[in-house]
Amino acid sequence: MNKTKRIIAIFFVLWMAGVSAINANEFTDAKASQDKLKSLAGQYPDFAKYEVLTSTPAGNNLGVLTLGRGNAAEKPAIALVGGIEGPHLFGTKLAIEFAEKVLGQTGNKQISALLDSVCFYVIPSINPDAAQSYFTSLRYERRGNGSPTDLDRDGRIAEDGYDDLNRDGLISMMRIADPTGKWMPHPADERIMVEARPAQGETGSYLYLTEGIDNDKDESFNEDGDEGVIINRNFAFKHPFFTTGSGEHAMSEVETRAIADFLYDAKNVFAVVSFGPANNLSKPLSYNEREASARIHTGWKKDDITLNEQISHLYNKHLGKMAPAEQSGSDGDFFQWAYFHYGRFSFSTPGWTFPDTAKTDKDAPKSQELNFLKWAEANKIENAFIPWTAIDHPDFPNKKVEVGGLAPFAMINPPANMHDTIIDIHTNFLLDLARMRPRIEIRDVKTEHIGRGLYRVTAEIANPGDFPTASQTGEMVRWMQKTVVRLTPARGQEIISGNVVEVFGAMGPRSSVKRSWIIKGDGTIMLRAGGEPTGFDQKDISL
Amino acid sequence: MKRIIFLIYTVLITISVSAQNIDGRAVENFFKAPGTPVNPKVEVSWNRYYTNDGLLDIYNRMVRAYPDLVKLESIGKSYENRNIWLLTVTNQKNKPHREKPGFWIDGAIHSNEIQGSEISVYTAWYLTENYGKNDFITQLMDEKVFYIMPVSSPDGREFYMNRPGTVNSSRSGAIPLDDDGDGLAAEDGFNDLNGDGHITMMRRRNPYGQWKTDPSDQRRLVRAEADEFGEWEMLGFEGMDADNDGRASEDRADGYYDPNRDWGWNWQPDYVQRGAYRYPFSLPESMAVRDFVMNHPNIAGAQSYHNTGGMLLRGPGSNDDSKFYLREDVRVYDHLGELGEKLIPGYNYYIIHEDLYTVYGGLIDWFHLMRGIFTFSNELFTSYFYFNQQSDGWFGRQEEAMEFDRFLLFEDAFVPWQEYDHPQYGKIEIGGFKKNFGRINPGFLLENEAHRNMAFTLHHAYHTPHLEITELTSKDLGGGLREITAQVTNSRLIPTHAGIDNRYKITRPNYITLEGGNVVAGMIIKNRDLNVVEEQLINPATIEVDNIPGMNSVLVKWVVDGGRRFTVTVDSAKGGRISKEL
Repeated sequence: MNKTKRIIAIFFVLWMAGVSAINANEFTDAKASQDKLKSLAGQYPDFAKYEVLTSTPAGNNLGVLTLGRGNAAEKPAIALVGGIEGPHLFGTKLAIEFAEKVLGQTGNKQISALLDSVCFYVIPSINPDAAQSYFTSLRYERRGNGSPTDLDRDGRIAEDGYDDLNRDGLISMMRIADPTGKWMPHPADERIMVEARPAQGETGSYLYLTEGIDNDKDESFNEDGDEGVIINRNFAFKHPFFTTGSGEHAMSEVETRAIADFLYDAKNVFAVVSFGPANNLSKPLSYNEREASARIHTGWKKDDITLNEQISHLYNKHLGKMAPAEQSGSDGDFFQWAYFHYGRFSFSTPGWTFPDTAKTDKDAPKSQELNFLKWAEANKIENAFIPWTAIDHPDFPNKKVEVGGLAPFAMINPPANMHDTIIDIHTNFLLDLARMRPRIEIRDVKTEHIGRGLYRVTAEIANPGDFPTASQTGEMVRWMQKTVVRLTPARGQEIISGNVVEVFGAMGPRSSVKRSWIIKGDGTIMLRAGGEPTGFDQKDISL
Repeated sequence: MKRIIFLIYTVLITISVSAQNIDGRAVENFFKAPGTPVNPKVEVSWNRYYTNDGLLDIYNRMVRAYPDLVKLESIGKSYENRNIWLLTVTNQKNKPHREKPGFWIDGAIHSNEIQGSEISVYTAWYLTENYGKNDFITQLMDEKVFYIMPVSSPDGREFYMNRPGTVNSSRSGAIPLDDDGDGLAAEDGFNDLNGDGHITMMRRRNPYGQWKTDPSDQRRLVRAEADEFGEWEMLGFEGMDADNDGRASEDRADGYYDPNRDWGWNWQPDYVQRGAYRYPFSLPESMAVRDFVMNHPNIAGAQSYHNTGGMLLRGPGSNDDSKFYLREDVRVYDHLGELGEKLIPGYNYYIIHEDLYTVYGGLIDWFHLMRGIFTFSNELFTSYFYFNQQSDGWFGRQEEAMEFDRFLLFEDAFVPWQEYDHPQYGKIEIGGFKKNFGRINPGFLLENEAHRNMAFTLHHAYHTPHLEITELTSKDLGGGLREITAQVTNSRLIPTHAGIDNRYKITRPNYITLEGGNVVAGMIIKNRDLNVVEEQLINPATIEVDNIPGMNSVLVKWVVDGGRRFTVTVDSAKGGRISKEL
């Protein structure tokens, strides 16, 4: 962009501030988000700790706020991950404001007690480089990070990006009247473009492209802009190799690796909740035996589906009619990686999607964009649409070219006046989720003198939580700490029968097992049970 | 000035070449054995193994003796902060190494498979000692560059050589892990009870045991017949149950993980692919290689040295990926693999998933499928070498190994059974094959196998692309316009872009550039006789050619306005950079 263009673009952004559906004030940029976490940690030193995991290719910090009192690493934890996709700024806001709301309530005994026994790791964004394009003079729905990438694999980097042809500071769409085009205006609303269906007797009359020039004259438009790898396509489960933005290989990016390393080190995580396009909260995933039992399984295991159903029920109780639309994940995404590789229960929701209320003729072409536009207008959302305006396009001389379409960011982020409600609801849901955590308790300890300095010790090891101690996939993952029961006798005591140490498979929700030992000699034995994902319990037993 | 230095250099080489021809006479105290340097500047005994320090000493001596042929650098640090050394071996004087087709060699990614390192160093040593003396080697060093990383896992080598272990430890490296899942890492490893550095076997006399002494070799135990008791019970490897969990040596000092399951193609987690670490390139050693390979797109061929079993392996590691090993690429592998079988008697050319086992996330799949590099993995040493005859399985029959040890090694490979008072098992005996037997070469067989494997690898390297401008003509079109035609030939087996590379556009295209005059049009000639061309509209001076296949050529032409002297430059990532003037 040349200087004049940039100045004009900035002018337009300033002009639009405060009136648009995409008001820059309602979200915080990468730096402000991290500063917010840091200041929360400063404000609540007993409950929160801030840590930078890495610096991104564009120089943004990627940080985590740990919520919890005392030794957080030994309490069952929920990893709360927002900003899964750059344009979804609301996901970042949800994560940050959850932390802020919980910390604001630490005066409440119930909340402070909860933070004594659970931990939240709040990562507000996994791709701050992409999100940053919301805050720059040229704004567009950017998904890639800041690492220089040859998106079209032609040997040249960033040689054909977007161009702000109508100089409104936004990258939207362009339509070109052309009899070879495959697109047409929607019969119900001429502003919306849909693909023509020849089988239905429709004919295309437009080319429909993202806003820009074919800078490298290769007949593809904007196919290699100045952006890099999509972190939510760079994870190792079903990595979509050699596709746009997926990276040179799975886990190639510093962001991806930093998040994975942090989570693998955080042995106490029992569930991951992410705010992104995937959604198994409004509607649970369904069980598919073939996928769930394949050697490389790609479907959730049966018991895990049952738990998903239970959590989904809880979510819908909180969200009611506001529950967003379902989506079961995409290749190389974080949501699926968290379950299939990391082995934790993985829940995801975008937090909000616009309700599907538009009523169109059943023969009319389906269009989410049309649905959105109708909803936005009914709800008086301003500037949701950029009116088509004619421009001169160097690649299409003598053709009618118009720039316009739905405003970027508007369809995926809720309007500002809904934010607080959605955040409150999600905060309550997350607190309820934490209350369901897996736990290990040692109960019903009985000692019995069976003669001549011999004692039988019996105890029940229980998980009174609503979660199992590990998902069925987690049970197979070597990095998921299992429950360990260890009996340590005092000096001079001897274990005649029973295990000194026993490693359990996953313990189901609300379940228990009995164990007994025969000990020779007086003194205090120590019985300790648990693991990081459940926390530990310990009983000192005097004989 | 540069040109003069180069001329002097060429003259010196010519002199030395003629000097080597007089080898019918002794040189100092030595008389030449064919194929081996008679009086090397760097003396190395190729019948023993070297520690990390021992190897570094060889590298440094090579650099001192041949500063224009060898460069030593550290490409990263291991988990325990050791340098990962890499030798760049080429004639540094004629052109930058990045402008030559590159050949990658790595050794001992499984660190107990140590001889891969000696074989890699032997290759570097052989190339340097023969440069200017042997025409084939000299040409190879002028045209290609070898990137040689003899020790993939320096921590593992240190572990293998200086800590008690078996023939299999450490396969991983030195990261302690919680192998038994009890929350503690490495709390119950082997115990070198007799203090000899080898972890051998434990046996105990037991009148109701299942094992008895082999009457033909007192050292050997055989199973008792189905209807009889033996005299021994076997108690496993030398060790004890240190953590009282009822299992001995189940959580060893070297955690179990596999650096050859840590690569970026079709990586699968540990529950699918045992040994996988956290995610692709989650180990510092493989990350260092990844960075180096990504930064050197000139690497066109590669060799990875493992043991054992006498195999020349190609991918894929998993049957799911067979569809990505394209016919044109397999043709190259087949040609080289069959040559390998001839050069190394006792070796078989195999496909990993078909003939060995399934491997997800292995090095060679990443090299081939994500980098387009033709790669072999050789399994060094085979029981075939005991008596030069085919035996059973990878390790051969135990009687054969015993006989070999008895008659050829004079029982140097066996720890004789000796009594030991064990705190948990009572009176036992400890003995068995040493950790340096079975997988690695006995000294007298090392140089032989090093040389044969190197020869195979050098022929592979020879077949990385070799580009020449085999035709450069000019035709007057009248009106000040001129047509320049260039033919670029690849006179080796390996294409500039493997089939998989073309499919996924892994490596940038070859650039064929005309300088001089104003280029009006540029095109690839698809069929010269029928005048079928494909014009390149954008930037016609630099024609982009997707591939220059092996043993084949491409034709391009330009229409030029003006200009008198023309230069054509071929810039190929894997085929090197060459130019010619018209």
